[in-house]
Amino acid sequence: MSLKSKPILIVFRLIVGGVFIWAAVTKIADPLSFAQDVKNYRLVGQTLSFLTAIFLPWVELIAGVSLIIGIFPRSSALVISGLLVFFIILIAVTMIRGIDVDCGCFGTFSRKADFLLILEDSIWLIMSLVLLFSRENDFCLLKRKS
Amino acid sequence: MKPLKCFVRGLKNTAGFLPESLMSLKKIFVESDTWQGVAFILALALILGTVSNLGLIKKFIAGEFNQAFISKDQFPGLVFISLEEAEDLWFNQKAVFIDSRSGYEYRQGHIPGAISIPLEEAKEKKGELLAIIPRERPLVLYCEGGNCLSSLSLARILHQSGFGNLRIFSGGWKEWTAAGLPVTKESEEQPER
Repeated sequence: MSLKSKPILIVFRLIVGGVFIWAAVTKIADPLSFAQDVKNYRLVGQTLSFLTAIFLPWVELIAGVSLIIGIFPRSSALVISGLLVFFIILIAVTMIRGIDVDCGCFGTFSRKADFLLILEDSIWLIMSLVLLFSRENDFCLLKRKS
Repeated sequence: MKPLKCFVRGLKNTAGFLPESLMSLKKIFVESDTWQGVAFILALALILGTVSNLGLIKKFIAGEFNQAFISKDQFPGLVFISLEEAEDLWFNQKAVFIDSRSGYEYRQGHIPGAISIPLEEAKEKKGELLAIIPRERPLVLYCEGGNCLSSLSLARILHQSGFGNLRIFSGGWKEWTAAGLPVTKESEEQPER
């Protein structure tokens, strides 16, 4: 797979951006339910769970949209990679702690936080890292002067 | 210091071998406008998150979500009750108790008369399990107590299925047993699940 191939990078951007937009929209639709999902991980208290539910979906949405339309595509890839690394660690820690929770990743369409989910997140992470490090990932719908 | 020098030279050499299509870390993190973009994304998220959730933020500050992330408008029939209230409802048989813990925990001991509806099973075979809950009487849901959340999740499911009169006994099994109230164990009763 050539990292120079612009079409592949654009497909990656559509996939990763699309997944993040979808994940964000399902959470923005019901922040309280997502706050409960965050709380279920038993890592943070009521206030932090609430703040996460209020802001995290918007970070996901804006990063996803930016990645697709090309406003700061590299920054979006960085934010998304960072989030994915965090999610993977979070799921792993939750599994090690033996806590059985819904991941909360896609609102009401969420499933269990398990090894398969780590695998799925890893695939997004690889795509996102390719985008982060590829020089050719500079395609912008809205052209900016550098 | 020789190994260190070698290491640094090695790194430089590696950087030289980087495929042209790959950007170096330095280019990404130091020279380009990456951080500017990250700040833009975070700031915009902060603004949009605040603006779109003003109502919820007000409710949170007012303390509406202290016990659970449940909006009174969304779940009007849902009430949190104390041990005393749970005790009163139980002794006077004014409500049906629902145990949302696992079947194993239920068999180890539960509030007498409580129906076992383990949360996980309720998700999988909703119709079958919910059919055994009387619809006309108030329901008291409980789980382990402390930070347990299964009674709350079950309450959401029940609410969606049309059960309106729901109470959550947040002290749960722990508070009930600590108060020395009656319990039933498997040896005394024949639970079916």
